[in-house]
Amino acid sequence: MAEAGEWESWMTAAQAGDARAYDALLRAALPLLRNTARRRIRDPAEAEDAVQDALLTIHQLRHAYDPARPIRPWLVAICERRAIDRLRRSGRRQGREIPLGDAGETLAAPLANQGEARVAAAELRAAVAELPPAQRTALGLAKLEDLPLAEASARSGMSVGALKVATHRAVRALRRRLAARPGTGSGE
Amino acid sequence: MTARKGAPGWPASARRRPLAPGRGEGPDGASERLIAELALGLRPVRRLPPPGLLALLWLALAGLVIGLAIALHGLRPDLAAAMAEPGERAQFLASLATGVAAALAAAMLARPDRSGRWGLLPLAPLGLWLGSLGWGCLADLGRLGPAAWSLGPSWGCLRFILALGAPLTAAMLLLLRHAGPVRPGPVLLLGGLAAAALCSAGLSLIHHLDAMLMVLVWHGAAVAALVALGWALGRPLLARPG
Repeated sequence: MAEAGEWESWMTAAQAGDARAYDALLRAALPLLRNTARRRIRDPAEAEDAVQDALLTIHQLRHAYDPARPIRPWLVAICERRAIDRLRRSGRRQGREIPLGDAGETLAAPLANQGEARVAAAELRAAVAELPPAQRTALGLAKLEDLPLAEASARSGMSVGALKVATHRAVRALRRRLAARPGTGSGE
Repeated sequence: MTARKGAPGWPASARRRPLAPGRGEGPDGASERLIAELALGLRPVRRLPPPGLLALLWLALAGLVIGLAIALHGLRPDLAAAMAEPGERAQFLASLATGVAAALAAAMLARPDRSGRWGLLPLAPLGLWLGSLGWGCLADLGRLGPAAWSLGPSWGCLRFILALGAPLTAAMLLLLRHAGPVRPGPVLLLGGLAAAALCSAGLSLIHHLDAMLMVLVWHGAAVAALVALGWALGRPLLARPG
């Protein structure tokens, strides 16, 4: 168990720009955030997404933390908020979607199924095209062109922080969308 | 941790990560990678002042704006006589208290770890304010008879409260934009209420309405309009959830 006030002093240092203290704080807080999210959300993957939402909000609000107050309630309150948001969103989504059954393999011959790869590539392109423009730009510059963040920021006009968040969201949106496709996500 | 000074790139572990589902916890789970990305190239931030101070700052701004309006229009000539009447005085003080309480409550609720019960703070003065207006209407009825119910248009009141209240609401939401990812709804409501209540208090120093019913309807309508406006248009002013 961390000694009293250690997390608070890490956050204070993080507010002053200490990346190591920030990294240490978020890693130490991860089990607390996971417990908080899992108390609300049963699906472990969905709960982990809520934890990541909470990490992004903590990052966004780190200037609003008051070092005179204990940090745990602050972290838990943010994580609870994000978990509730995620539950609401998934509730809405489930109301609109109908689960598809497994699509059977079309042909038994191995060559006939080579089309799969092309279909997958086309689906990936379609999924990327559906991302919001900022996320698409961030993904293109930071991940596909593999530019350093500073250069990607200069080219896109987005701040480094905004790029990080947009890229993270884009990857997560793609992952969710591709994982939701029947026939993927099971190691095929 | 792969933080390298002067090399603002993605950490090696986060680079070219596969899109295949591999999320979950573990030493190199997606959340751990996100932490590494967020910590990399961390910039110092300016800490927000405590919520009480932010509320005070906004109240000072509101006082300044309403003071300017009073300087422009002048105090109503019968102010001393009006304030000598317990009903009018109670109504003025209650609207002032509602504004101050709502501003403090909004600033408190904008912080994730403050109790939601701060939202109840303006309820007592708000009840007193509405009660004093209702009581005034009844008193008018006794004094003036059915004439107390004559309701004329008073677009001036509405315009005054909206014209002063809208920028004050916007200023409040900008000061409290960190509420966006946490409790946007209550902060929007309380922000609009604080601005409207103070403008209504300011207006009763400038303008005289014959009947309390007029005050109730026109000030009430302006407050409701401002709260609704804050609710509808305020979201872009608040930060989006991360």
